[in-house]
Amino acid sequence: MTHPLYGSTAIAGVGLRQYKRGASPLPERSVLVDAILAACAEAGFDPADIDGFVSYGDDKNEPVRLMPELGIRELNWSAAVWGGGGGGIAGAFGIAASAILSGQAKAVVVFRALVEGSSGRLSAAVMAHHLNDHMLAAGVVSPAQVCAIRANRLFEHHGVPRDIVEDLVRASYHHGSRNPEAVAYGQTFDIEALRSSRLIAEPFRLFDCSRENDGAGALLLVSAEHARSLAKPPVYLLGCAQGTEAGWGDLLDNDREDLYATAGFRSVARNLYAQTGLSPADIDVVQLYENFDAQGVMSLIDHGFCSYESAAEVIRFDNLIADGGKLPVNTAGGNLAQGFIHGIGLAVEAVRQLRGESSNPVAGARTCLLAGGPGSPTVSSAIFGNIVP
Amino acid sequence: MSHYRGEDAPYWQGLAEGRLLLPRCASCGRWTWPAAHRCGQCGATDMRWEELPMRASVFAWTRTWHRFGLTEGLELPFTSIVAEIDGCGIRLYGRLTDPDRIDPKIGEPLTGAIGATRVGDETIPTILWSRL
Repeated sequence: MTHPLYGSTAIAGVGLRQYKRGASPLPERSVLVDAILAACAEAGFDPADIDGFVSYGDDKNEPVRLMPELGIRELNWSAAVWGGGGGGIAGAFGIAASAILSGQAKAVVVFRALVEGSSGRLSAAVMAHHLNDHMLAAGVVSPAQVCAIRANRLFEHHGVPRDIVEDLVRASYHHGSRNPEAVAYGQTFDIEALRSSRLIAEPFRLFDCSRENDGAGALLLVSAEHARSLAKPPVYLLGCAQGTEAGWGDLLDNDREDLYATAGFRSVARNLYAQTGLSPADIDVVQLYENFDAQGVMSLIDHGFCSYESAAEVIRFDNLIADGGKLPVNTAGGNLAQGFIHGIGLAVEAVRQLRGESSNPVAGARTCLLAGGPGSPTVSSAIFGNIVP
Repeated sequence: MSHYRGEDAPYWQGLAEGRLLLPRCASCGRWTWPAAHRCGQCGATDMRWEELPMRASVFAWTRTWHRFGLTEGLELPFTSIVAEIDGCGIRLYGRLTDPDRIDPKIGEPLTGAIGATRVGDETIPTILWSRL
């Protein structure tokens, strides 16, 4: 039996505004309103008819406050995925679809906005969920350190070669350099820049880490039928799963040993593939949340694209790029080279890629997997398609 | 002080007294961490705090070079570890005495002593681990 989420809702419009951190010309809510209006404009949809919102990861813009500026008549759904990291980004689409499929809302905007002057540093907001005296006393106070500890174990205990993260970083910059909206646009990236960047928390150097931008992203989700009547070709939500399994999640690092050096997605990936009837071989392109490059590698492993043993064969520059790779990843540059607004740019790129609007088009791409923030206590993933296979 | 109020209050009390105390279900014998009132394994609500020697092995580690906020009380670089306590399988965050910056090895045996970390206006007790 087809799962209720399979192809029953679709993204009709996307909007993205991105600026250098600390350089947004507008306060956070205004940037967000701009992004929402852009999403509605390309869909040919009246923003007054938006009746629901979903966000994730500490967004400060309570939907009801967006109503006056957008001229919204009635708010019927406002929700967020629990958890402070980017783990909830894909799950937000599942929540939005649930509202539409259950008849509780008709047009739901999934959004994330981040302007440092308004909301402070993202890393501090994320850590506020986790910080306790155990961590403070050990000097572990940042997402970088939390992820570095697990990255070391990935390399040392599981024997994954350290240098494969460089291929992921290079592929990200390769894509970003050709994306006019990316922070890396027009730049030539020399891997020596990573190798010689300053140490943050071993094994991470500065360029192993995503670096925050100001900005906002918004995606308008409606029923599949409604989407077909709007201006842009629909990008269907084919499936979505969120959560985790026993032995993972805010356990003061007492995760089950076989889950410790993962990104936390094993049950989510299993459920997502079971729900959609798709497998890793059916995924044409991946938008991979990489807060840190090693966590991106773990996420690819969790989603079944490779294993600890085969990671070095699969995670290769040539294989990860849009022009010819079998596993094109982060075709707008990803969090590392497109820009980092808590991952919302990845969702926007998933849509653009499936419409053929990406700066790095993947020939014939039908499906795109969006993987949420790896390593978060709650994680989520979704699959989108420009057809319903 | 917040850490004397939660489920793990006996842990902090123990460190203040110079002892490592960790919780174990009196009904099924399972060690539980993070501390909890109820044993998720057998459902009993009879946690006993037992004293353990400060012996452990390295489970995972990182050496921090960037001055993150709230680490001002620590000299850079400093090494944080996840230490697996001998005899119970519980892992604790801690710091490694690492003057020579020798990379820890997973599984390497450690011995601990009570120390403290200054965080803002507060001094938080912790276990400082050393290689044997």
